[in-house]
Amino acid sequence: MVFERNFLLAAFAVAVLVPLVVQGEYAMHIGVLIMFSVMLATSFNLIVGYVGELPLGHTAFLGIGAYVAALLSSTFGLAFHWTLICAAVIAAIFGLFIGAITLRLRGPFFVIVTLCFAEVLRLIANNWIDLTNGPMGISGIPKPDWAMSGDVLQQKVSFYYVGIGLAAITLYLSYRFVYSNIGRAAIAVRENRFVAQSVGIWPFYFGLVTFVLAAAISGVAGGYYAYYVSFVGPEVFGFSFMISMLIMVLAGGKGTLVGPVVGAVLVVLLEEFLRDFKDLRFSIFGLVVVAVVLFLPQGLMGFITKRHEAYKVRQARDA
Amino acid sequence: MDLFLQLLANGLVIGTFYALSALGLTLVFGLMRIVNFAHGELYVIGGLLGWSLTDQLGLNFFLALAIVVFALAVIGYLIDRFMMSRVRGQGEEPTILLTIGLSIFITNTALLIVGTAPLKVVSPFANKPLFLGPVVLTQSRLMLVVICIAIILGAHLLIQKTSIGRAMRATFQDAMAAQLAGIRTAHIYGFTFALGAALAGAAGMLLGSIYVAQATIGGLVSLKAFVVVILGGMGSFAGAIAGGLILGVAEALWGGYVATGYVDAIGFALVIVMLLLRPYGLFGKHNERA
Repeated sequence: MVFERNFLLAAFAVAVLVPLVVQGEYAMHIGVLIMFSVMLATSFNLIVGYVGELPLGHTAFLGIGAYVAALLSSTFGLAFHWTLICAAVIAAIFGLFIGAITLRLRGPFFVIVTLCFAEVLRLIANNWIDLTNGPMGISGIPKPDWAMSGDVLQQKVSFYYVGIGLAAITLYLSYRFVYSNIGRAAIAVRENRFVAQSVGIWPFYFGLVTFVLAAAISGVAGGYYAYYVSFVGPEVFGFSFMISMLIMVLAGGKGTLVGPVVGAVLVVLLEEFLRDFKDLRFSIFGLVVVAVVLFLPQGLMGFITKRHEAYKVRQARDA
Repeated sequence: MDLFLQLLANGLVIGTFYALSALGLTLVFGLMRIVNFAHGELYVIGGLLGWSLTDQLGLNFFLALAIVVFALAVIGYLIDRFMMSRVRGQGEEPTILLTIGLSIFITNTALLIVGTAPLKVVSPFANKPLFLGPVVLTQSRLMLVVICIAIILGAHLLIQKTSIGRAMRATFQDAMAAQLAGIRTAHIYGFTFALGAALAGAAGMLLGSIYVAQATIGGLVSLKAFVVVILGGMGSFAGAIAGGLILGVAEALWGGYVATGYVDAIGFALVIVMLLLRPYGLFGKHNERA
């Protein structure tokens, strides 16, 4: 708990200071992607790590957030902060609805049914042309006021700092949530459902609360993404975002707050690094995923924790 | 009425094809409980291998089919022994991530080798239309339905009547007890995955002779196969057939009468409704609740 807090504070300080050292549009672009991924991975981890189920359709909330932000800002000209709040609220409402249905299921069925919801939403986004403009997507989302001034580099830096702010809020909320009574109850359910039930914890309720919070965070991430890319198409519901999220969380280490942050940074950097390999890059990426599962089954943080514990045991023995 | 009969016939034919393409997953997901997102990619390998054997090398269709089945069985066995066995018993997350990694690798490597173009497996059957009263079907589709039924029956007999089938059923009921009874469960896991992969590959090649074999369709095939398996109930061949037929007919009728845009959403909607109303699936046993 103390380690997590200190690590996250240190990461925040580093993230704030980075633009002073590293300059350039490309670096800021990667920074924005990392902040977006940190939000997504943290929200996904709330369900994977703390409810213990795998929602393979988590892109549903990302997509809803992105579409809400895109529609509200381009049709009604709402300001950045209002659209993000609306994106969070509407994604949370969808989270309540989808969670109430899917949290009755367990294991592989939960996985597949959440995926079904995301696919249905993707097909709706593709076919409801009056609202979503179909496969063409919504383009020309107006830039928020704070990103209008300065040159392109200045705008990217602004986006980066807003991203840090949003990611910090996300992690603060998750931190407070995980170490609240609700979070502890959720962990109890994850560790042993029947024991938790026997001491009066209602798994469905705690699962649902976590699900709604995660959905709201994803919605905000989606809205941020829509503003940054200034285009939203049906592929925000697609499987590729899902794969990145999944790999970030499981490679970083699920069930910890630090893991997804580390995973997000690593995966974004890996994807950028693999660009040098051109056509081969996706094949290599697939192999890396397989290797991570086989050789780092608990994720990077799990590996470090295990080494750390072994080290402490050795020290205690030597003393 | 004629339109209805035609749509129904189309739906039944496509439903049989869905059942065939989901058979492998019935074993791997339904019995072994591996949420195999690489199922569609095994299907793609089968289709592409079938194309290269019949179209590029000019082999006989049935000889090529035998080669495809054998090759996919070997690939499946190796995947299980070197990857799946290492994460067995750790819940579904590692296996999902593993199979997703595998599917990314297979899809993109296939794209590098054959590109995005749709490729056609050379079919031995004529594409002549047959008139059965008001309903029109092509000869090749009808022949393929017969082959599908034969394969489904064969797989069913293999599981129910042979000693290796009995060993498979024992292993998936209680692996420990099966081991105590002298069954080499590691082999059985490998064999079941190999059979699942071989069925997926055979489906890919057979359907590649009617539609096309393409490197990028794996994801869609996987999703539809999951829909079919869940609709029918886990690990039941009768269920896979029923699930496939329901999906095929529902899509055909919806596409014919309502709108073509949302056809792909029908399966997902059916799964959501099904798991709310009948969490055991149509033919699932009661101890296999969702």
